[in-house]
Amino acid sequence: MTPEEVIEAIASRFGDAVKASEVKGVEARMDVRRERSYEILAALKEMGLDYLNCISSVDWIGAGELEAVYSLSSLGGLTKALVRVRAPREEPVIQSVVPLWSTADWHEREAYDLMGIWFDSHPDLRRILTSEDWVGHPLRKDYQDERLVPYEPA
Amino acid sequence: MAHRGPATRLGVGAESGMGETEILEPIPELMEEMYVNMGPQHPSTHGVLRLMLKLDGEMVIGVVPYIGYLHRCHEKIGENRTYVQVIPYTDRLDYLASMYNNFGYVLAVERLMGLQVPERAEYMRVILAELQRIASHLIWMGTFGLDLGNFTIFMYCFREREKILDLFESVSGQRLNYSFYRIGGMPMDFPDSFLTECKAFLEWFKPRLPEYDAVMTDNIIFQKRVQGLGRLDQKTAIDYAISGPMLRGTGITWDLRRNDPYSIYDRFDFEIPVGSTGDVWDRYMVRRQEMAESVKIVEQALRQLPPGDIMGKVPKKLKPPAGDIYSRVESPRGELGFYIVSDGSEKPYRYKVRSPAYVNLSVLPVIGPGHLVADMVAILGSIDIVLGEVDR
Repeated sequence: MTPEEVIEAIASRFGDAVKASEVKGVEARMDVRRERSYEILAALKEMGLDYLNCISSVDWIGAGELEAVYSLSSLGGLTKALVRVRAPREEPVIQSVVPLWSTADWHEREAYDLMGIWFDSHPDLRRILTSEDWVGHPLRKDYQDERLVPYEPA
Repeated sequence: MAHRGPATRLGVGAESGMGETEILEPIPELMEEMYVNMGPQHPSTHGVLRLMLKLDGEMVIGVVPYIGYLHRCHEKIGENRTYVQVIPYTDRLDYLASMYNNFGYVLAVERLMGLQVPERAEYMRVILAELQRIASHLIWMGTFGLDLGNFTIFMYCFREREKILDLFESVSGQRLNYSFYRIGGMPMDFPDSFLTECKAFLEWFKPRLPEYDAVMTDNIIFQKRVQGLGRLDQKTAIDYAISGPMLRGTGITWDLRRNDPYSIYDRFDFEIPVGSTGDVWDRYMVRRQEMAESVKIVEQALRQLPPGDIMGKVPKKLKPPAGDIYSRVESPRGELGFYIVSDGSEKPYRYKVRSPAYVNLSVLPVIGPGHLVADMVAILGSIDIVLGEVDR
């Protein structure tokens, strides 16, 4: 399955839930609405992209949004997919994909811990890299800690 | 260290008004269950990893890993450094395979910028990376043997690794954290003596592999100890996105060097060793055979090594165009991915590391239960974790 076919299949099935899409090499890239992100990722898994490489998170502070980025591929072919889902900073909730991939468990816990994205219906969403009593989410661009000294090059 | 978990309850004393004293009474049907902390200070956890083991007598019936003891917010540091300044930090991720972290990172930035790397630099990269793979597998084999009480293999493996570190020192001046790859090429050429020394090392190393077989592979005690332990089936492996020797141990032929070739790996002739049942023994055999395959790659690369430039045309100030990329390489532990978001400035807007050991460790609660505590040591050892990379 080529990346063009992947985008076409998703766009025809989910319509305007796909906000933008492009093909970059063997990678199908999509920005999708968070209300339907779970269904779209489930559809991609059914198409054969059943290997979830990574879930990254990005803080788009200028737009007031947090983003989760899913990298998908398969152990059969070269086609990959990159799915971006954005949620407003005031209510950063995205549907968990743990029912689809068990590997999402630790990735989502990390994104919650460091970026503060709440993954709805995750079975055990707690901090993973920082300690249990940590306050705030360090990878956010506006994270403040009085112990941090700004780096000033000489 | 151990404490009784749910095996106790408030006794009748509290209810019958015998005072404030809580009397804990054992519940017979739960008496054998117990929670034990393994780590964070434990020699077999290879760093600071804490495992909460739920035990039924000697049998493990539940594992909960607690990580983060080495967390230093590597990714946040990366966002506050320029693209070149990040390279030394990547050394500290997987400190047993620093060359490969450098490789993965510079490759991601080069792909983001569309840079071309000179031919000679590509060969240098592959030679160093495959030597690094041998060194990393040697450490793994040595410490794994040590976990199981085989001290001889530990001494053998460290003896050979020293020689690889000597080679790296002659090239980069460092023995552990090399920072030797540059975006767009390599900083300096091999010293004159390197080619002869490297060939001499390979000639010396090849007869050492049967020695390991004599001590480990053909050792009936070792075989009985690890065969059938920690079985991982293919479906679970894909569900947990396992990669590297652990995935190949289940019988799936998947190696990014072959299946998603980067750099110049498509020019070399090498085998991809796979296992069949996905147990500890298969993982051992995959790594043992991969060392021989890496020797083959280095030999071919040394033969084909072309003369020429080692640094491509790179702008003085590195400012990748706005955009993002997920780039992956096959590190000794599996799929090492870098997700980099650029906003057009000279620092990454977001820099995320997908470390193979982090993902591979997450399957431990599935493959651990059902074994003895002593076998947990072998299973954990066979995952080949490096906590610097798990905790980032």
